Parts: sequence; structure tokens; C-alpha cells
Amino acid sequence: MNRRSLISAAVAGVAAFVTATASVAADWPKRPINLVVPYKAGGGTDAYARAISAAAADVLDVPVVVVNKPGSGGLNGANSVVGARPDGYTMMMTSGGSFLLSTMTRDTKIDALESFEFVAQVGKLQTSLMVPKDSPFQTVQDVIDAAQANPGSLRWAHSGRGGFHFVGGLGFLANNNIEAQDVPFKGGGPTRAALIGSQADFGFLGVQQLAGFEDNLRALAVNSAERDGIMTEVPAFGELGIPFAAVSSPVIVFAPKGTPAEVITAMEAALAEIAAKPEFAELLAKRGTGPVYANGADAKAGLTAMKADAAPLVAGLTK
Amino acid sequence: MDIFPALLSVISDPMLLAAILLAAVVGMIVGAIPGLTASAAIAMLLPITFYMDPLFALAFLYVIGKSGRYGGSIAAILFNTPGTAASAATQLDGYPLAKSGKAGKAMKVATISSVIGDFMGDIMLVVGVGFIAALALKLGPPETFAIYFAAFVVIGSVIGKSILKGLASAFIGILVAMVGLDPISSQERYTFGSFDLSNGIGLVPLMIGVFVLGEVFAQLEERKKAKNAEIEVNDQAGDDNTLTWDEYKPCLPHALRGGVIGAFIGVLPGLGSAIAAFISYGEGKRRATNPEKWGKGALEGVAAPEAANNAVSGPSMAPLLTLGIPGSTIGAILLGVFLIHGIQVGPTLFLTDKELVYRLFACGMLGILAYGLIGYFGATQVARIILKIPTNVLYPMIFLTSFVAAYSARGSMFDVTVMTVAGFVGWLMRKYDFNIAAFVISFVLAKGAEETFRQSMLMSDGGALVFIERPIAALFLAIGLAAMAFRIRTILHEQKIAQGGLGDA
Repeated sequence: MNRRSLISAAVAGVAAFVTATASVAADWPKRPINLVVPYKAGGGTDAYARAISAAAADVLDVPVVVVNKPGSGGLNGANSVVGARPDGYTMMMTSGGSFLLSTMTRDTKIDALESFEFVAQVGKLQTSLMVPKDSPFQTVQDVIDAAQANPGSLRWAHSGRGGFHFVGGLGFLANNNIEAQDVPFKGGGPTRAALIGSQADFGFLGVQQLAGFEDNLRALAVNSAERDGIMTEVPAFGELGIPFAAVSSPVIVFAPKGTPAEVITAMEAALAEIAAKPEFAELLAKRGTGPVYANGADAKAGLTAMKADAAPLVAGLTK
Repeated sequence: MDIFPALLSVISDPMLLAAILLAAVVGMIVGAIPGLTASAAIAMLLPITFYMDPLFALAFLYVIGKSGRYGGSIAAILFNTPGTAASAATQLDGYPLAKSGKAGKAMKVATISSVIGDFMGDIMLVVGVGFIAALALKLGPPETFAIYFAAFVVIGSVIGKSILKGLASAFIGILVAMVGLDPISSQERYTFGSFDLSNGIGLVPLMIGVFVLGEVFAQLEERKKAKNAEIEVNDQAGDDNTLTWDEYKPCLPHALRGGVIGAFIGVLPGLGSAIAAFISYGEGKRRATNPEKWGKGALEGVAAPEAANNAVSGPSMAPLLTLGIPGSTIGAILLGVFLIHGIQVGPTLFLTDKELVYRLFACGMLGILAYGLIGYFGATQVARIILKIPTNVLYPMIFLTSFVAAYSARGSMFDVTVMTVAGFVGWLMRKYDFNIAAFVISFVLAKGAEETFRQSMLMSDGGALVFIERPIAALFLAIGLAAMAFRIRTILHEQKIAQGGLGDA
């Protein structure tokens, strides 16, 4: 075999590979798309996935099947998707903040920013500072004053160490130079119940948890620069001029590394269309959340910025 | 009263009624098959219910639980083997009655008493649960821990013949529950670096393994040992199998007392039907006008335990729904069903999903009616159907189903491994007389107990006084300690009698 034929064979090989990839991308999707949710059915992220699945009916030609793979703070499902065939038929929808934090605090090879392709962001879960309805604290400043007057005397509830609510709470404490003892509960529901029963002085929990519980709880501020898109009556730390750590949880769709760019672009466009549909917003409104769309590049930029914010806060947590 | 509109809405849904009827039949059959329990059946059927509407799923499994408790009496009376642990007390008088040709009569007494007890329990639940839920909002980790403590002590005191093996079983249950992430600091424990183990051991694969696979292994061994053990239905020689009011009249006070005993025991997490049935039987015999006939075929001796056995069902839902404390293995699985459908069990349940809860109660009541009617007119036919299924077809089918169920609950092969290992463990525990129920219920309770204890410690800066300063917590701790003291006194008393007896001999 001379050099020339070797080159032409190589060219032909590359060409064949390119056409093969192109053909995979061209007739995508022809099978149902499995959307892995690394949490139990019934949670906030799961609600987004199911709303996507329901609203995808006339946007994509194939059904979007929600597959729950819970466990290990979302790493179980992520592990199963990171090694999946990158053909566009297995993707993951996860709570970006929790996913990022669990990859930072736990022993895993997965890097939230590098191990996956970012497809798009479709929603956002935000944490907020809440107190029981009969609490003496009327404003965020009341909480800060009480904690400063008596360091370490206040108890605060959250939904588990390592989660973004916990890190958001740590950020609030650290930025305002106050100390308080944390009491972890298992998940948002038990945290809310504990706060209603005045088992803690304040708590950090999802701002959507207030929906339907306005008579039992008072949300003092949402942990962001601007107000939440749905729970608009709750003020933001940003507008109150109170320093905080910008930790939230964007709901992001990820694809395995190596998924053809055409497929990702097509899915990104489909998600943009789905997120804009009124029925998607209606399905989410029942849970106090709503659509927050961002394309893949913006989603990645947002998560990268959050990593920088969270890094000093989680430095002391277990690895 | 929220129950009446709920009843109306359930009655007007034919699909739901069909599901209740199906559940009543399934529960009765499973309960009547010796060795299979309602909780095992519920664990196996769990994956199917993921695809149902939440009310459908919950009602289906809840009614199986009720009907399964009743189904155990069919096996106890007609086959002379208790279908469930709870019906062992029914067997004491039920089987002598069957031998003397009164099987049909005994079945009818069992059915009526089960229905009476079950309704009493459910009425107590419906009346009391709203009140408990309002109270539960004020209960924090210290109170919840005190309730767990009381439950643990009480299980410990009813642990069975061998106290040592009973305690060992409970201890193994606690140890297995520790596998996974620490509930407070999220550090890994007993995971040996395994990624799968960091999720902890799942309740469903563990239960299917211990209860179903373990039972299949035990049956395999039995069959090798004794090939001629044929079970017969003893309802042929019946002189009269009808039941008159005059015959049931003396049973009624026993059924009512049994209902009250069962309902109170049901509220305490961790106890369950078997204990209620035996306490009610003992109490009934003590107060009976004809104690000499008990154990030899007294109808009252069937009425008392059966009513108590079923009265547990309703009230055991109260700690589950209001505090999220699963009082029984069935409760622990139902807890999972609520979570899967996105319903948060606990004090806020009655704020978020009150209608669903009352509809579930309504379904439960209709379920009682369904198994009552089927049982009253057809219990012996159900027994015959069960005998017609050859065990060499039945057990392989159960064996296969358990693998499918363990896998499909979470789509995890690791769960299948867990189930298989648990199956061998369950078989060995049966073989060496360890207490499987104590093992599983300790497993169920341990996580919550640890979590609430450590939360209380964080709330109080590590001061154990937090449990005494809060009156409700102190009350439950006192109940636990009283139960322990009572038990120690009885043991000492028994020892004295035993020693005295030997001294005389």
C-alpha cells in the first residue's frame, strides 16, 4: 500500500465517520428519548421533567420518557448517564446546584462542568429565608440582629447538609458575620413542617415551599439579587442590600460527552419551544415554580459562576 | 366530617370500586396462603402502583393490608396453619372448631368479628386523626424521638420466646439500617467504598428477600424433609355451618373489647396485629364466663383475637400520616408510595392533601365491606381455590415475581442482589428461630430514631434534658420506661413461679 492510497483510505474513513454521525443527527429523534432524573419521583426536579415530558408531545415526534434513578445526592443517575451511549437518546435533567455541590463535596470522578454537554436550562429552584408565622422576626435585619446579640443561640433548619439550601444558608451566615446552629432535616417537606412547628428559629428552604402555606410561614427574603419569577411577593436579599452567596439550583438538561452537536442543537431548540408553551408553565405553577429558559452556553456560564461562589463555603465539608 | 363527602366521591367512581374489590380478593388469598403475608404481597405489587393514580395506588395497597390480615384467619381455621403471625391466636380455637365440623360457623364468626374490629379501628382513625395532626405540628424532633423510643422498648418486650435472639434480631436490623449516608453529616457509613451501598439498603428489596424469598427457601427445605404433609380443608363433616344471632351474641362483647384493644395497640408504632390478637385473646379468656372451653373450640375465642387483629389496621395509619413514623412494615411501604407520588407525609399532610387522605379512609371502609361480604359467603371456596394451586407451581411463580418486583421498584440490579442476600438471611433466621418481624421493624424505625435523636441534640446543644423539659417527650419516655419495668416484673414473676414449681417437684 503506498502513501497515497493510505491517505485516501484515511480520508474515506473520516468521511464515512462524518456521514455516519451526520445521519445519526439527521434522523434524530427516531426513538423515545430517556430523560434520567437522578432523584425520586415527586420532587421539584422530577416535576420539571414530567412537565417537559407532557409538553413535548407536539414539539418532538417521539415521547420523552422520564426515568428516575435516585440515590447518592443525584450522583447515581449522573453516573448512569455519563457512561451512556452519546446518541441523543439518553439525557439527564438535574437540579444543577445540588449536582454541582455533590460533585464538589463527595468522592466522585464526575465534574459537573466538564463531564457532560450542557443542552439547556428550563427552570430554576431558589432558596429563601423563612420563619414561622408567629416568629418575632419581621425582617431579615431582625434575624441578623438577634444572631449578633447572642452568637450561636439561634437554630436554623435546612433540608440536608451539602444541598444548595444548606450552602445558601451558610453563605448568608458567613456574609453577615453571624453564627447559628444548623439542624438538618430530610428533604424540603420535613424542613417546612419543622419550621411551621417552630422547631427552629429560621430556615432555608425552597421559595416555592411557601405556596399554600402563607398562613403558617413568613418568607423574609429569597436568596438572589432579584425576586423570584413566580413568588413575586417575597423580597430579594439583593434589593434589601443584604450580602448573600448566589447559590441557586438551575434545572438543566445534560447530554453525555460526545453527543453530536446537531442533536444537542436540535434538543436545545425543542426545549426552548417547550419552555415557552403555556401548558408547561401551568403544570409547574401548581408547585410554585415556573419556566426559566437559558441556552446551553448560558447555563454553563451560570453554573461556573456559582462554583466560584460556593467553593469557599463547601471547603470545610466532607470530601 | 370530611369522611362523608369522601365516601360519596369514592362510591361514584366505578374503577376505584373495582380496584378495592380486587384488592380485597388479592389480600384474602395472599393472607390465606401459609407463609405469605400481606406486607410481602404489598412489597411485590409496589412497582405496579407507580403507574397508577395516587389514590388508586394507596387504596389498592391499603385494602390488601386490611384484607390480608383477615385472610390469615382462613388458613388458621381451615388449614390449621396460621396464614399470618397475627392469626396464630385465632388458630387456638378456630382449628378445634373446624375439627368438630363447625368450620363454616367459625369462619363466619371470624369474618363478622374482623369487620367489627376493623370498622372500630377506622372510626377511631377518622375521628382522631385530624386532632392528632393538629397536635403533630407542634411536635418536634425530641417528641418524635420519644415516640420512637417507646416503640423500640415495646417491640423489645414482645420479642418472642428467646429474648436474646429477639434482641439480636432487632440489633441486626438497626445495624443494616446504618448502612449508607449519615442522616446529619452525610458521611458514608459501612459502605466499604461501594457506590451502591452509599444509598443504603432499600426497604422493598430487603422485605421481598426476607419475607418472600426466605419463605420460598424454607418451603423448599420443608418439601425435601416431609413429602407427605398434605393440608386438608376441614369443612366437609359440618353438621351446621350457619350462624344464628343467639350464637354470636356472647361473642359480641369479646369482639368489641378486641376492637378497642387492637385500636389502642395500633396507634403505638411498631407493635402490630400479632400482639393485639394475643393480648385480646388473653384478656377475653380472663373475663370469659366459660374459660374452660377456650382453646378447645369456643366461638368467643375466635371473635376476640380476630377483632383485635383487624382493629390495628386503621389506627396504625395515624403515626404514619401525622408524624411520618411507619408503625408497621405495611406502613413503611405505604410511606414510600406517598413519596413516589409526590405527597409529603407528616404534619403538613392534612394541610396539603386532606381530601386524598379522607378518600383513602373511605376506600378502606369499603374494602372492609368487600372482604366481609366475600368472606362471609365464600371463605371456604377461597380456601379450596388455594388448595387447588399446586405448590410446585405457586412457589416458582412467587420466586420469579420477587426478582421482577425487586428490580422494577428502582430499576436497579443492586437491589436484586440485596434481595437475594436478604432471602438467604431470612431463611437462616427462620431456621435458627430468630425474630424476622423484630429485624424488619427495627430496620424501619432505626433511621428515624437516629435522625430525630441527633436533631434534638443539635437543637439543645447536646443536652439530654431536652427530652424531659418538653412535656410530651417526657410522657412518651415515661410510657417506654413503664413498659420496660412492667416487662421486667413479669419476667421476674415468671421465673419465681418456675423456680417454685421446680422446688415442689
